[in-house]
Formats: sequence, C-alpha cells, structure tokens
Amino acid sequence: MAYSDKVVDHYSNPRNVGTLDKSSSEVGTGLVGAPECGDVMRLQIKVNPQTQIIEEAKFKTFGCGSAIASSSLATEWVKGKTVAEAMAISNTDIVKELALPPVKIHCSVLAEDAIRAAIGDWKQKNGMAETEAAAQPVATTA
Amino acid sequence: MPEFASAVFPGAAPPGADYFSVFNLPRKLALDTRALEQAFYRQSRAVHPDRFAQASAERQQWSLEQTSLLNDAYRTLRDPIARTEYLLRIEGVTAGGRGETPAQVPPELLAEVFELNMQLDELRAGDGDPQLRTDLEAARVEFEQRLALVDGELARAQDEWDQAVEAGTGAARGASAARMAALLDKRRYMRNLVREVREALGATLGEA
Repeated sequence: MAYSDKVVDHYSNPRNVGTLDKSSSEVGTGLVGAPECGDVMRLQIKVNPQTQIIEEAKFKTFGCGSAIASSSLATEWVKGKTVAEAMAISNTDIVKELALPPVKIHCSVLAEDAIRAAIGDWKQKNGMAETEAAAQPVATTA
Repeated sequence: MPEFASAVFPGAAPPGADYFSVFNLPRKLALDTRALEQAFYRQSRAVHPDRFAQASAERQQWSLEQTSLLNDAYRTLRDPIARTEYLLRIEGVTAGGRGETPAQVPPELLAEVFELNMQLDELRAGDGDPQLRTDLEAARVEFEQRLALVDGELARAQDEWDQAVEAGTGAARGASAARMAALLDKRRYMRNLVREVREALGATLGEA
C-alpha cells in the first residue's frame, strides 16, 4: 500500500517531536493506544492560562507511518488554537488532509483521542469541570 | 476428531463461506491441525487449477477462487492466534468487544509500553549506558513472563468458548469472546514489545 506524499513528509520529517514538562499545570498529556496494531501515542499541549491558547504541542508516537503522520499533523493543527477550537478537530479532517486509506483510519482516530485526552488532562489539572468529549471520546467515522 | 468434508468438488464452498465452513468445521477453537492439513491438501487437489486447464474460462476462474479461499482459510486456521482473531471477527467481536473505539488497553499498560519504547529508543541511539541494558534485559524477562500468562488466560478463554459452543449458551459465548478480545489486545502490545526488546538487545550485542 502506498502512502500519500503528505504522510511520507510527516513521517520522514515529523514536526514537534519531543516532551513537555508533565508536572507543569500548563501542560496536558494524553497517552492513547491502538490495540489493533499495538501503537502508542503521547501528545502534550502547553496552554497559556490567560488566553487558553495552545502555545506549544509535542508528540512521541511508536507505531506505523500513518500513526506518526497523524500525530505530527495533530500537533501542527492544535498549535495557536484555543482549547475549545482544538476540541473541534476531528479525525475526518486528518483523514482528508493525509489521504489515509480506510485501513489506516484508526490512526487518525487515535490522534483525535490523543488531543482530547491531552485537553482532558489539562482541564483536570486546572480544576475545570469535565464536560463532554474527554470523558467519552466518540470516534466520528468517515 | 472433526468430520472434514471429503471433497469440495463439485459443490465446493458457497460464496462468502467462512473459513471454518470451508473445512466443514464447527466454530470452535480447539482443532486438530494435522487433520486440517490433510483436509487442506485433499480439497486443494480437488479444485487445483491444473485440473481445469482445458475447462471454460468460468470454470478456471472458479478453480482459482476456490484455491485462494482454501489457502487463506488454511493459513488462518492453522495458527491458534490468527484462528481466534478470525473467529472474533466473524462473530462481530472486535477490540474489547465494543467496535471501533480504541484505547481498550489498560492505561497502566500503555504507560509501561510507552516507557519501554523510550528506553529502546535510547538503546538504539547507542549512548552505551550499561544500566539501560540491564534494565531492558529485566524488562524482556518480565514481559516474556507476562506474555506467557496472557497466553495461559487466553487458552482458558478458548476452552470456555468451545464449551459454550457445545452447550449452546449464548451468554457464555459472549463473555468468553469479550475476554479473548481483551486478551488479544494486551497480547499484541506485549508481543511487539518482546520482539522489539529482543531485536534491540540483539542488534547492540551482535547476537542475543
């Protein structure tokens, strides 16, 4: 199966690989996994407490090219967005951008879950009431 | 011992037949792989494309399809893990029994898997820290033991499934299917990890 150019680009030149200080109250960490293929993905965000803008995003993914590309793209997209805007990113956007084939859609679901988990962790740290998505991530299927 | 179909020709497997019915087997997980192999060879001979070299294009096509179905069915069923995964798929049970939603794996396991992968990355980067090697050796032993435990649990769940099929109890079937799906999820992480640790340790030592 051929990967799209964008997947290859993100895979061979991943953006924002790295780690943020997990203990900081401004940092939210999401760790998710895909049992189907044994992938693990960690996505971290650093949120400005005044503006609620995500100023920094880092990821580390152990998995296939599509999983790495999906999380790389996710960090690019969340940066500069507010937390509420980032919550609106859906896996279908990732599928479209990376032209993922049907067998790799779960990689994009994983990236969406990682964003939500990171935001959920940040909200929890900052005493914000858990509302919708983070507690119950529902995959929007393409 | 299961009753294998004596020959598929000329009726052969109906379109969309599942791999168990290809060999006329019940949907049970304990199976005699020697008997399966014999049935595979016998049925393969019956539909082999060489026998249809002079036949109509339609018949030749049919022979190819049957041969390929037999090959897929045999390869899947002869391996106990692939057999179980396949059974769960045709029974409509996927990851943890709840369809598409990922993250069925316990969070503690995810964290462990992630940490170990980070250590593996360090080892591959090769800064030669002897403590790292020792840690990874210990992790390898531990994960191999845990993999064996999961396999033991899986074997028990497979037995339960077979008993439930015999007894015709739907609820027991569902429960053991869900358990098998969860165990297979866990197993996939551990197997990958064990393999990667072995590879990484082997590669840096020359031979493990």
